[in-house]
Amino acid sequence: MSGGRAVVRRARPLLGTLVEIGATTIEGAPPRATSAAIDAAFARIFALQQRLSRFVAASDVGRFNAAPAGACIDVGSDARAVLGAAAALRDASDGAFDVTVGSGPRAWRLDARGLHKLADEVEIDLGGIAKGHAVDCAVATLEEHGVAAGWVNAGGDLRAFGDLAVPLELRDEESGGVRRFATIEDGAFATSRCPASHGASRHASVAAPRCLWADALTKVVVASGDASHPLLACFGARGWLHGPPRANG
Amino acid sequence: MRFVLAGTTLAALASAPASAFAVDYLTLEQAAQLMFPDADRFDGGEITLDAAQLQALEAQGVRGRSARWTVRIARHGDATLGVVVADAVIGKFELISYAVGIDGDGAIRQIEILSYRESHGGEIRLPAWRRQFVGKTQAAPLRVGDDIANISGATLSCTHVTDGVRRIVAVVALARRNGSLP
Repeated sequence: MSGGRAVVRRARPLLGTLVEIGATTIEGAPPRATSAAIDAAFARIFALQQRLSRFVAASDVGRFNAAPAGACIDVGSDARAVLGAAAALRDASDGAFDVTVGSGPRAWRLDARGLHKLADEVEIDLGGIAKGHAVDCAVATLEEHGVAAGWVNAGGDLRAFGDLAVPLELRDEESGGVRRFATIEDGAFATSRCPASHGASRHASVAAPRCLWADALTKVVVASGDASHPLLACFGARGWLHGPPRANG
Repeated sequence: MRFVLAGTTLAALASAPASAFAVDYLTLEQAAQLMFPDADRFDGGEITLDAAQLQALEAQGVRGRSARWTVRIARHGDATLGVVVADAVIGKFELISYAVGIDGDGAIRQIEILSYRESHGGEIRLPAWRRQFVGKTQAAPLRVGDDIANISGATLSCTHVTDGVRRIVAVVALARRNGSLP
């Protein structure tokens, strides 16, 4: 519940999913200030999508994927933040976290000069981590605009900030509907689907202080099948594997 | 980070009854005002396509699906700033209504989700459930209003929304060509 405080909610299709932003109204400011803060957060996510999407040819990732081996791509601060985290997770998880989706886990390198492509066939897809970063950035934008509490939910990768306890519902992937799972305050939560070979409709969820880590660590839980993978503790995170309804998840 | 589990076990979670979920974000009027803040009035209207026009759309690779759309025309004095078109799409378990703002030159200005309904079971395909889009809540299991719950799950695709937006851009272009929209 919003504890009696007024919350403005808006949603737009972004990042290939629906992004919802909730913001408590900014005290002492006209109502449109809260709306403007939400607009700015959506604009931040859109700009990030244009820089990181593999579907955008001119994006940092699009240019990397089109480049030949030996190329060094000049990348922006968002790509640096996400790829830096991706490299750390890859190394710490023995390659279980892989933004190249098997096309060359170690065939890219990020350094001060840029993003190096080390093999022709390597392609990067930041789908497993960039959504979380986008949520973190949108939260930062809302805070910069004076929003004291709220949340950003990018299709299930979400973060709540400020002193607002946000009830969390898990979608029933088999038959629809949602079930109350937890409440989260000042933290992030993400869910990913396990491949069909892991059994019918299994999902991994991770709670972490930042959404980038929650988002990325669900992939580690999916890949390892281990909801208490030691890496989670390094990031102050906690994981779950959900079975289909009526199974002992 | 503070994280409090609702149930004691995941088994308890799995046996808890699933509930439906709904959020109303904006009315079409509110969305139109957000998209065209310079407008001094919005004229109501409708785009209605006849069979031949729907066929012309299909020839462009755009399936018509509906033949009628609610429209708000943004005006400032005598000038037309653009149009806002309302539409709704059905996903696997969800119904989404949204509005697309289109500038005078045909470019998309903004897309805003108007409302979101997530159902359990097959009722999403039933007309009675879909009618909940228009007007306020009536079905008992539907929670609307102050509850700010967030949903997590395998990432929801919004392909049907992007397809719908593409359709509306084509419909508006067609309606402008045949003179039924300014």
